[in-house]
Amino acid sequence: MLRRNIRLRREYLYRKSLEGKERLLYEKKLKIKKALEEGKPIPTELRNEEAALRQEIDLEDKNTAVPRNHIDDEYASATERDPKILLTTSRNPSAPLTQFVKELKIVFPNAVRVNRGSQVISEIIEACRANDYTDVILVHEHRGVPDGLIISHLPFGPTAYFGLLNVVTRHDIKDKKAIGTMPEAYPHLILDNFSTKLGERTANILKHLFPVPKPDTKRIVTFANQSDYISFRHHLYDRQNNNPRVKYGNPKSIDLKEIGPRFELRLYQIKLGTVDQSEAQIEWVIRPYMNTSKKRKFIGE
Amino acid sequence: MSTDDPACLDILRRLKSTDPPLWLAPNPSLSQQARTASLGLFSSLKPYTPQSPLDRLLIDGFDAEQIWQQIELQSHPLLSFLQREVKRFEKSGEISRFLAEEPQMKDILREAEDDQGRKEEEDVDGFDEDEAGASEDLDDDDEEEDGAEEEEKEDRDEVGDESESESGEEGDKGGIEDGFLKIKELEEYLQKDEAKKYGLEGSGKKKAGNKERRGIDEDESSEEGEEDDGDDDDEPGGFGVDDDEEEIENARYEDFFGGKRKKARRKPKVKDGSEEDVSEEEDGDDTENENEGNHNLSTHEKELLSMKSKIEQMEKANLEPKTWTMQGEVTAAKRPKNSALEVDLDFEHNARPAPVITEEVTASLEDLIRKRIMEAHFDDVEKPPSLPGKGPREIKELDENKSKKGLAEIYEDEYAQKASLISAPSSFSDEQKKEATLLFKKLCLKLDALSHFHFAPKPVIEDMSIQANVPALAMEEIAPLAVSDAAMLAPEEVFSGKGNVKDESELTQADRKRRRAKKKRIHKAEEAKRMTTKSKLRTMPNPDEGKED
Repeated sequence: MLRRNIRLRREYLYRKSLEGKERLLYEKKLKIKKALEEGKPIPTELRNEEAALRQEIDLEDKNTAVPRNHIDDEYASATERDPKILLTTSRNPSAPLTQFVKELKIVFPNAVRVNRGSQVISEIIEACRANDYTDVILVHEHRGVPDGLIISHLPFGPTAYFGLLNVVTRHDIKDKKAIGTMPEAYPHLILDNFSTKLGERTANILKHLFPVPKPDTKRIVTFANQSDYISFRHHLYDRQNNNPRVKYGNPKSIDLKEIGPRFELRLYQIKLGTVDQSEAQIEWVIRPYMNTSKKRKFIGE
Repeated sequence: MSTDDPACLDILRRLKSTDPPLWLAPNPSLSQQARTASLGLFSSLKPYTPQSPLDRLLIDGFDAEQIWQQIELQSHPLLSFLQREVKRFEKSGEISRFLAEEPQMKDILREAEDDQGRKEEEDVDGFDEDEAGASEDLDDDDEEEDGAEEEEKEDRDEVGDESESESGEEGDKGGIEDGFLKIKELEEYLQKDEAKKYGLEGSGKKKAGNKERRGIDEDESSEEGEEDDGDDDDEPGGFGVDDDEEEIENARYEDFFGGKRKKARRKPKVKDGSEEDVSEEEDGDDTENENEGNHNLSTHEKELLSMKSKIEQMEKANLEPKTWTMQGEVTAAKRPKNSALEVDLDFEHNARPAPVITEEVTASLEDLIRKRIMEAHFDDVEKPPSLPGKGPREIKELDENKSKKGLAEIYEDEYAQKASLISAPSSFSDEQKKEATLLFKKLCLKLDALSHFHFAPKPVIEDMSIQANVPALAMEEIAPLAVSDAAMLAPEEVFSGKGNVKDESELTQADRKRRRAKKKRIHKAEEAKRMTTKSKLRTMPNPDEGKED
C-alpha cells in the first residue's frame, strides 16, 4: 500500500514534468490541423516533423487530442463514481460548530460526519484512502462562529483553503416550522462568475463535491462569486405558473425558498497535495499586503 | 397631626430611642408607632404640596409598599420645589454674608459632609435590616428620617454651595449645561474672541472678576487651567453673575491694580494654595498695564496689535516641543496613555472590505438563480462518455453465389486441414489480426519487463526455419555473437585442393627443397615479366624528347 502510493505519487510528478513538452507538441499539432482545414500551406518550421505529426493527428480521438494536465488527472476518475465525503472539525469543537457541521453533512450528498476526538490529520487521511473516500472537509471555528473550511481531494488531489464569513446557520433560525426539513436529493449546481483560470480551478474543486443529479430535482446549490467573495446559497424552487396562459418566458414565476446555511467563502490558498502534506507545492496563495491586490480580482470578472 | 403636634414629636422621639435589636423582630406596636409617625410627618409637609392628591397618609390596612408609594407621591414635587428655592436663595444677596465668615463656612461644610456620610450609612443599615427580614415599617421610618435629614442637609448644602461659588455658579440652567458645556465658559470665550478683534478695551475691567473666579473655581480650574494660562496676555473676561458685572462696570483701573489686587490675591492663596496662578496673573497684570495706556487705538493699530499677539503665540508654539501627532515615529512610550484612541488615525487598507449581505444583495442573487432555473442552465458535473467496450462485431458476409466446389470436395479440404497437411488460406483480416496480436504481445512483454519485480521471460515459440551455411556449433548456441562468412562455408568450399596436402611440420628435407625451388622459379618468372613491361614503357616514343630548344 505504501509502496503503491509512493509509486503513484512519483508517476504523478513525472507526468507533471512532461507537461511542458506535451504542450509544445499539442501546439504544433494544432497549427498543422488549422493549416489543413484552411487549406493553407503548412508553416515552414513544422515541415520536417509534419509527416509524423500528421500521422498522429489522424490517429487521435477526442480524448487524446486535448493535452493532459496534471490538474485533469486529479479529477479524471472523479466523474466515473459518485463523490464520497468525510466531514470533520478542528479539535474540541463547540456546540454551534457541531451543529453547523451537521447541517453541512445534509447539504453535501453522500457525506459522513465524524467526531474529531484526538485524531491526527494524517491518520484521518490514511483511513479515508483505505476506505475509498474522494474528499475530506475540515471545518474550523472561532468562539462558536465557523470561520474556516478546508476541502481536500483525496487521491493526492488539491487542497483548497477557504475562510468563512457572514455565516448564518439553520439553527439560528429558531422557528423550526418555517424552515422545515432539508431534502436530500442530488442538487443542481450554479457556479456564477468564475471566469479566470484560478476561478475555473476553484469551480472544479467545488463542483466535484457533488454527484451527477437527476435533471428534474428541485434543489439548487449556488456558488456565486462577487469580487473574490463566493456566496453559498441553498434553495428549493417551485415552478408555479400563476397564470397558466403565459407560455413564453415565465415572468419569474419561480418560488425560491431558502433552506440550508448561508455563508461567504474566501479562498486563500490552493495546495497541490492533501492536507497532511504540508510540504506540497503551493499552487496559489492570497497576497493581502501587496499594494495592488485591492485592484485585482483573482477568481472572477 | 403634624410635627408641631407634641404627640407626634413624642412618638418620633420614642422611635428614635428604641434599641436597635428591637427592630429585628416584627413588633406590632412599633409598627403602629412608625405608621402614626409617618402620618404626622406627611401632614406636616402637606401645606408645601398644594397639588398632591392625598389629603393624608392612608395607613390603615395598607402595607409598606403602598405607604411608601404615597410618600413618594408627595415628596417628588416637594424635592423639585426645594431645589428651586435653594437656587433662588443662592441668587439673592445673602451670599455675601457668608463670604466674610470663613471659619463658620468651613465648619458648615464639614458638617454637611458628615451628614452626608451618616445618611449613606443609615441607608446602608436600613437596607441590611430590610434584607434581614425585619419589619417592613423600618423602611418607612428610615425614609421619613432620611427625608427630614435631606431637608436639613439641603440647607447646609445651600450654604456650602454658596460658599463654594462666590462669584455664583449658576448651576444647572434648565438642563443645557452638563459636564462638557458650561455657558459661562462659552461666554468667556466669546468675549475673548471679540476682544481680540476689537482691541483690548474692556479687558482690564474684567480682570478682577476673572481672578476671583479663577481663584475660587476649584472644580473648573483643572479644565480651564490651560485656557486661562494662555489668556494671560489677552484678558477678556467673561461675564459672571450679576454681582461681578456691577462691580466691573463701576470699577476703575486703580481699584484692580491698586487696592483690590491684595484682596484678590488673598483668595487664590487660601483656596488654591497655588502661587503659580498668582505670579502669572501678576505678570499678566504688568503687560496689561503698559498696553492699556491708550484706549483709543486706530483700527490699524489694533490690527497690528492683534497680529503681533498672534505672531507671539505662534512663535511660542514653535519653540515648544511638538505634540506627539506631529512628531515622526512615535512609540507608545512617547505619547500619553490612551492618546491614540482620541486621534483619528488614517492609513490605507489594502484589502477589500468583507461584503455586507444586504437585502439588495440577496435579491440580486435570487434573481440570478431564477434566471438560471428558467434557462435550465446548470453547472452540474457531467457523466463521462462511456468508452466503447467491445469492438464492432464482425459481420461475416454471406457469399450468395453457388459454391463452385462440390460437397465431397469441401469435406476433403476440411479433413486435410484437420490432419494439417495443407494449411487453409488465411483471410486478409486473419493476417492483420495475427500481426496485431503479435505486436501487442511484444509490447506487453516489454512493459512487463519494466514494471514487474519478478520478470518471467517470454516463452520460446518454436519456429521451423532452415538456415543454410551456419556451422553446427552456431546452431546450438542461443545467441551467436558473430557469424562471419568464413564460418558459413564448408571446409571443402574454403579449400578446394588436390593431392596429399602436408603441413609444414610434416615436410621432409627433400620436400622443403622442392618448395623452395618452386618458389624461386615463380619469383624469377615474375621479375622477368616486370622487366619487359618496364622496358616497353621506356622505349615508347616521347614526342618532346628529341627537341632541343
